[in-house]
Amino acid sequence: MDMLQTSIDGLMIGSTYALLGLSFALVFGIMRRINLAFGACLLFGASLAIYLEPILGWGAWGLFVVTIVGVALASAYVERLCFAPHSKRHGAVTAMVASFAVWMQLDEISSQLLPQRTHAFQGIEVPNFWWGEIFVRGDQLLHFVIALVSILVLYLLLYKTRLGLLIRATADSPDTAHLLGARVPWLGFIIFLLAGILGGLAAFMILSADGYVTPLFGLWSTFKGLIAMIIGGVGSLMGAVIGGLILGLVETHAGAVLGAEFRDMVTFGLVFLVLIIRPGGLMGVKIYRTDSLAQERV
Amino acid sequence: MDMYLASVLTNMTLIAFLALSAYLVLVVGEVSFGQQAFFGIGAYITASATALAGAHIFWGLLAGAIGGASCALLLGLLTIRLSGIYFAISTLCFAELLRFFLLHLRFTQSVDGRIIGPDGPEGFSNIRWIFENHYQVTDFLLLAVTCLIILLIVLFSLERSPIMLGARMVGNDPILAQSQGLNPTRYRLSFITLSGAVAGFGGGLFALFNTHIEPAMFGVMLGIHGLAYAVIGGLGSAVGPLLGVFLDIGLLESIRPLAAYRMIIFGGLVAFLLVFRPEGIISPRLVSRLKSRWRNRHV
Amino acid sequence: MYSLQGIGKSFGGIDVLRDISLTLKPGQRLGITGANGVGKSTLINIATGFLKPDSGHIQLNNKTLTHQPAWAFAQAGIQRTFQNTRFLTTANLGEQLLLAARAPESKRRLTKLIELSGLQASLHLFPDEIPLPMLRKAEVIRGLAASPEVLFLDEPSAGLTTFELDQFGVFLQQNLGQKTALVVVEHRFDFMLMITDSVVEMQLNRGLVKRGADVKT
Ligand SMILES: Nc1ncnc2c1ncn2[C@@H]1O[C@H](COP(=O)(O)OP(=O)(O)O)[C@@H](O)[C@H]1O
Ligand SMILES: [Mg+2]
Repeated sequence: MDMLQTSIDGLMIGSTYALLGLSFALVFGIMRRINLAFGACLLFGASLAIYLEPILGWGAWGLFVVTIVGVALASAYVERLCFAPHSKRHGAVTAMVASFAVWMQLDEISSQLLPQRTHAFQGIEVPNFWWGEIFVRGDQLLHFVIALVSILVLYLLLYKTRLGLLIRATADSPDTAHLLGARVPWLGFIIFLLAGILGGLAAFMILSADGYVTPLFGLWSTFKGLIAMIIGGVGSLMGAVIGGLILGLVETHAGAVLGAEFRDMVTFGLVFLVLIIRPGGLMGVKIYRTDSLAQERV
Repeated sequence: MDMYLASVLTNMTLIAFLALSAYLVLVVGEVSFGQQAFFGIGAYITASATALAGAHIFWGLLAGAIGGASCALLLGLLTIRLSGIYFAISTLCFAELLRFFLLHLRFTQSVDGRIIGPDGPEGFSNIRWIFENHYQVTDFLLLAVTCLIILLIVLFSLERSPIMLGARMVGNDPILAQSQGLNPTRYRLSFITLSGAVAGFGGGLFALFNTHIEPAMFGVMLGIHGLAYAVIGGLGSAVGPLLGVFLDIGLLESIRPLAAYRMIIFGGLVAFLLVFRPEGIISPRLVSRLKSRWRNRHV
Repeated sequence: MYSLQGIGKSFGGIDVLRDISLTLKPGQRLGITGANGVGKSTLINIATGFLKPDSGHIQLNNKTLTHQPAWAFAQAGIQRTFQNTRFLTTANLGEQLLLAARAPESKRRLTKLIELSGLQASLHLFPDEIPLPMLRKAEVIRGLAASPEVLFLDEPSAGLTTFELDQFGVFLQQNLGQKTALVVVEHRFDFMLMITDSVVEMQLNRGLVKRGADVKT
């Protein structure tokens, strides 16, 4: 029974990791870029929401809306300053370091908004209940549902609309898509906005489940997102979702068996093993080889 | 010299080792989020050698460098098939695993009534080498700067030999490098190992200077800072990372009055700077151009 | 003596090369023509170690190279140029040429080749500041510096005018040396006639077919 309870907890948490992983996979899958400032954007959105809460007085729903809008804005800002100028093939490292600089910046802005180390974050209240012998947290169930719905919406957007088709074509082969006239203006901007909205949703759900924000939240969510993406297979959207769920399961089980202290280490160890044994991740994406000409015709 | 100034300068010198180690990995075309681990390993080894085993500082630092190099070589061998983001994330995981190891490393001894040695999360206190040898802050600064200069001389002579150009070719275009008969794997392994040695050595100095070290000091933030210094300064020459360190620590210290907002200003400035100089301030092209100008004038 | 025996290669289930064999004696000059997409570049990639064949062997002076990495091919004396010239953009031309000539003897050869080609004035420039005809010559010089056993050229005429191509051909002929075998993949027939002593055509599903005299396929 304990196993089952732990697994269900893991899946609940994993669904928010899936959203974090999806944000990274969207950006990496389509633009081959890593946004180190991702977590800082989340922290900024949450800080802005808490800061504005007494002024707006909209309660939990206010937090929800402002967090998402704040994260999306920060994400768009990061794209304009750090990624749009470095869109050439060799710009990846530069863009990543630029996003690191902006991470520092957003961190500082967040701590100006919220000077104390911890701040309460009041989520939407949902009653908890027992389902047979399993305890279900109402808010986590709600989050699970929200995560599933947003993944579904993203799927529909990418696979059932023209914009989605163009985005996927660009992801497959930027040059070919360009030749076919499928250039999406502001593609990067749209991707970052989407990633920001997903990230904002995840931030709201994680923070309201925890009940508080600390300055470490930024780094933490960057880690979780990156790891969820890596486990699933870099760049694969489906992989990121599965990776997030697996991450949640592994964490809760490792925490239950070995204690909280070992939880993160088990994750890092697992990711390291996945990388050196099966670098393509569980979904087996084959873009990792260093010496193959398959990616580049000479 | 002003004590405060001397300690800021010493810190800059020590971080310069970390930035140079990130630079050496960047040269062969990889990004490492894990150099802080080699820095930390070097710090622990040097601290143990001098404080626990009573070794001379020379042997202590050498052991730190060798320790850093061995860990880096191990990482390089394990990740031999990886590159790009896969390599970057695996360095991050490796570094966090090493830090976890340090968090659980307990080996304390009582020396002259003091408890010394690694003590889990509490870290390693009472690294008393500088007190025992009556080093002032300025003396230590002199020592650190001397070591840095020696390292720079080594790197500059490497820069003048074809090895460095070969490494840059491996980093920029492995296919071209192979067509020139260069073995990318060998270059990558050697440079990653060298970077571990440089970081380990710097970590050793760091331990001696700080007299107390703990695992929390060697988190990923430290490593990303070193990486950012190297990229901002530029990959054209070993001077680049030093410039990066100077810009961040030096300039920020001089605008103390704005302390509360400094990262807001500085973070934005760095991102903005990279828009105009994406290859860093001292870019490879700039260096190459300066070199040939210099030669034309002096031949 | 360099030889390819029974080379086969397919991409995604489609056979691009099927049972291709080829032998080169020192100093031999072979031209390969063929329609776009029949697999000429693929053959060069395999012959120089950049792609691994699905079947077949590659030998140089009775040493088997088949499973060696590309850099080992280059070290053994198998040089190539790329369909689009390939240089580092962050170092000047002189430095890059020097990197290709590590032995003292190669350095001497390199200096001589640079003099003959008229590249001195461009040595301090970056490759993206140098006109294409010069770059093509530079790429050949880079390949010839270490006096290789075999030199493969992949469409050297692309982007050159007839006059420039002519100059390029003359330069090539004068500097190849007795020992080095040459394989040129080309469409321009006049050029082929000038620098090769036999030409084969690569045909879809039929491999290399004779166009001139005495070629063993
Ligand atoms: N790395 C690769 N992956 C998949 N298909 C390839 C690859 N390289 C070449 N091809 C295919 O093999 C065929 C031969 O290509 P190539 O050797 O470049 O032709 P050529 O040089 O004769 O014009 C083409 O149909 C091309 O699309
Ligand atoms: Mg071709």
